[in-house]
Order: sequence, then structure tokens, then C-alpha cells
Amino acid sequence: MSENIGMFGASGSGDTSGFGGLVRSAANFGSSERPYGSYFDEVADELERAYPEFSDAIEKVIVDRGELTLHIKREKLFETAMKLRDTESLRFEVCLGVNGVHYPEDKDRELHAVYPLLSMTHNRRIRLEVSVPDSDPHLPSLVEVWAGNNWHERETWDMFGIIFDGHPGLTRILMPDDWPGHPQRKDYPLGGIPIEYKGATVPAPSERRSYR
Amino acid sequence: MNPYVPILVIGAIGFGFAIFSIVAAAVTGPKRYNRAKVEAYECGIQPSPQAAGGGRFPVKYFLTAMLFIIFDIEIVFLYPWAVTFDQLGLFGLVEMVIFIATVFVAYIYVWRRGGLEWD
Amino acid sequence: MGLEEKLPAGFALTSVEKLAGYMRKNSLWPATFGLACCAIEMMAFGGGRYDAARFGMEVFRASPRQADLMIVAGRVSNKMAPVLRQIYDQMAAPKWVIAMGACASSGGMFNNYAIVQGVDHVVPVDIYLPGCPPRPEMLMDAILKLHEHIGSEKLGVNREQIIREVEAAALAAKPTHQLKGLLT
Repeated sequence: MSENIGMFGASGSGDTSGFGGLVRSAANFGSSERPYGSYFDEVADELERAYPEFSDAIEKVIVDRGELTLHIKREKLFETAMKLRDTESLRFEVCLGVNGVHYPEDKDRELHAVYPLLSMTHNRRIRLEVSVPDSDPHLPSLVEVWAGNNWHERETWDMFGIIFDGHPGLTRILMPDDWPGHPQRKDYPLGGIPIEYKGATVPAPSERRSYR
Repeated sequence: MNPYVPILVIGAIGFGFAIFSIVAAAVTGPKRYNRAKVEAYECGIQPSPQAAGGGRFPVKYFLTAMLFIIFDIEIVFLYPWAVTFDQLGLFGLVEMVIFIATVFVAYIYVWRRGGLEWD
Repeated sequence: MGLEEKLPAGFALTSVEKLAGYMRKNSLWPATFGLACCAIEMMAFGGGRYDAARFGMEVFRASPRQADLMIVAGRVSNKMAPVLRQIYDQMAAPKWVIAMGACASSGGMFNNYAIVQGVDHVVPVDIYLPGCPPRPEMLMDAILKLHEHIGSEKLGVNREQIIREVEAAALAAKPTHQLKGLLT
């Protein structure tokens, strides 16, 4: 359970924006229990039927606000993805790309990769999430399962540093090719420069107040 | 006066203007060389290196050119025959058939050489 | 060759300057360098209501070799900067640059690792046009100011003299942090 106080704004320093009074608790979810509700039970059952090792591939199942998220172990990710795409009763043909997330406080599970999936035949949406430690940020590439993930995986590599093994060409896509660092990580500075006015220099907006 | 002389005069004026433009630009303009100006334009990225002399061309383009020549020359002769078809009568027909047969030999050459298979 | 740089000073030179300036400023051909939102306003400027064609500028040349004016419309990222420089280098002199919008002039609202803080880090700029985005009328105003600037450009020995004077003035000028402004 991590608590975030305020969105941005200096703490203890006369911040009058109002955001300083905001308190958000991010609950660290444990696995939800059956029954999951709506079509999620069907999806979980079909997946177990098609892929018997599914029960030890899965780390947790989260049903929150009407959305199903399956946390998968990275060794089983490729097979799970294949089964989800190919099984007749599941048929998740569309993957909406890989998204990276960085949780610096979560030791050994810092980098997450999230795959939102859509089944057009059955009109269902689920989400796969995989966690990798920062010391070994390797994941199998899902380009053979969903070819459209090619550039999304390159973006996730560029912005977060997750290395996709088996990707046909894992290079930087948004930043210049020789850029050091991975910009969207939480510990990467915003990189603004101080602004020079006549007679005074004002620090960059990210340095003027403490941002969370 | 020959009615075609004004056309020649206009042709000469046009030609002279083109020559004048090029020469005047070359004489009055400064020469500011930089490496990017002589490189190929590739939407701003560094151009990919090309083989010397533009690289080797695949031979299939030669066969396409041959086909073009065959049909183009044939058409050039077919048009006047079509216009004066009545006056030439049977003689014209026989002669054109012989002509088309001659060109047809070249066409068979290209066909058997694989010029019609574009891959 | 290169007669333009060797013109002798005098009345004839002034007339030649006026003539050359007049010919250069009318029908400036812009190179398409619309990068982001300012490009929409630049397109609006090219459209029917704020007509670019009245200045002879409706042809936005795709090739920099045929263009005189580069309107950098939009934010330039660090990845795009060498492309911008290459396009600028491939334009033939005389060439001018308008930095359109806040992002091209100074990085705009994006003060971060990815955006070049002002396109004058990459190419020499003649006119800075603020706005986010500037209205087409503002772009038209910038172009008209550029027309005046071009019409009064000097050639030959006059040009060298002006360059010397401008450089001396810039070397003797007070640096920005010693000027008096609103914040001091």
C-alpha cells in the first residue's frame, strides 16, 4: 500500500495550488478470487483448458473497475500469448501494443510490460502484465505472435530499457540512436534548462517545485 | 515571306533566353559550396551510399526498351497507312502485312527471351 | 565568376541592390518544414482566406533546392535536428529562415530532454515569430517584415561593411544577464 500525497507542488512550502492536499493511496492488490464476473471467468476457464500449465504461469489475477488483468511469469509469456491468440474460444487477435511501467520501489519487479488485448470475434478485452527486475530486464519478444508489436517493443526498449529477446531489430525509435539512458523511467530527470531573461535566470519548470 | 519564319524566330528567342539565363546565373552568382548541397536529397537524412556509376542495372530493362521500340516504330508506320487506307487498297494491305510480320519476328525474340515476364 | 560579391560601390550599386532586393523578395518559395501544430496555421496561411498566393508563396517546395525560405513551423526534437540542418544546407543561397511559433523560437512550453530549445541552436534565424500557434495573420506579418528586410539587403562591398558593423556591435553589446528587465 503506497500513499501519494499531492500531485505536484512543494511539500511544506506554501503551495496554494490545491493539489498539495490530495491524498491517493495506491493499493497493492492481492489476487482477486473467483467468480471474477462478466466474461472474465469464461476467459480464465478457456485459457486453463487450452493451456494446462496456465495455473503456474499466472502470478495473480486482478479484476478492478470492470477490467481483467492477468499477471504472467515471463517464462510462460510467449506460450500464453500464442494460446490466447490461437484458441478458438479466446481469439485475441488484436494486441494494442506494449506499454512499459516503472515501479522503482518494487525491488526485483521494477519494470512491468503491459499488453492490452482485444478479441474482435468475442468482443472481449483483457490485459496481460509481466514484471521483470531491473538487473535482468529481458522479456521474450511477441513480434511472432502479433506482428504489430514491433515498433511498440522498440518504444518500450527506448523509454524503459526492457530488452525483448528475439526482436528483429531492437533499436531506439523516439530518441536519437546514441542517446544514453531510458527517459520514461521515474528516476530520469526531465532535462530542462534554466531560462534566461533580462537580468535574471529562472530555473527550468521541473526544478522550481518538487514534482512527484 | 515564308510563313514558317516567325516560328524559327520565336524558337531562336526562346533558345537564346535559356542560354542567357544559364550564363548570367553562372557569371553573376557567388559560389558557395557546402558538402550537403552536392549530396543526394533524401528528405534530410544522410543519403545511403550508392555503388559507383549508379550501380549495375538489371538487364530486364533493356528488354523493355526493345519492346517499346518495336511497338512504337510499328505504330508510327501504321498511322499513315490507316489514314490513306482506301487509296492504297490491296497493295497497301499486302505490304503492311509483310511489315508487321517482320516486326513480329523481333517480338517473338523478346517473348522467348523472357521480356514479357516481369518479376 | 561570382560577380555579385565584386560589385563596385556607388549609385549603380544602390540601384542594383534595390532591383535585386525587389526581385528576391517577391515570390519567395517556402520549403515545407511544418513539424507540428504551427504547420496547421501555416497551411491555413496557404489556403484561400489568408492567401499565400498573393505573395507568390503558394508553392511550398518539397525539395530544398528549389526553395528560398524555410519556415520552421513546430517543435524540433533532438532526433530531427540533424535533418533540419541537412535541409537548410541543401537550400541554395540566398536563403532565409523564419522560426514560427514559440517552440521553434525558444523551445516553447517544452523545456525537456527531447526538444531543441530554439531552432537557432541549429540554423541561423532571420525572423522569430512568437505564438502558440501564431495566427495566419501573424505569419503574414512576419513574412512582410521579412520582405522589407530582404528588399533592403546590401550587396558587394556594402554588404561586407554591414557585416563588419553588425559583428562589432554584437561584440560590444551588453550580455543579457546584465540588462535591466521586468524581473530585476
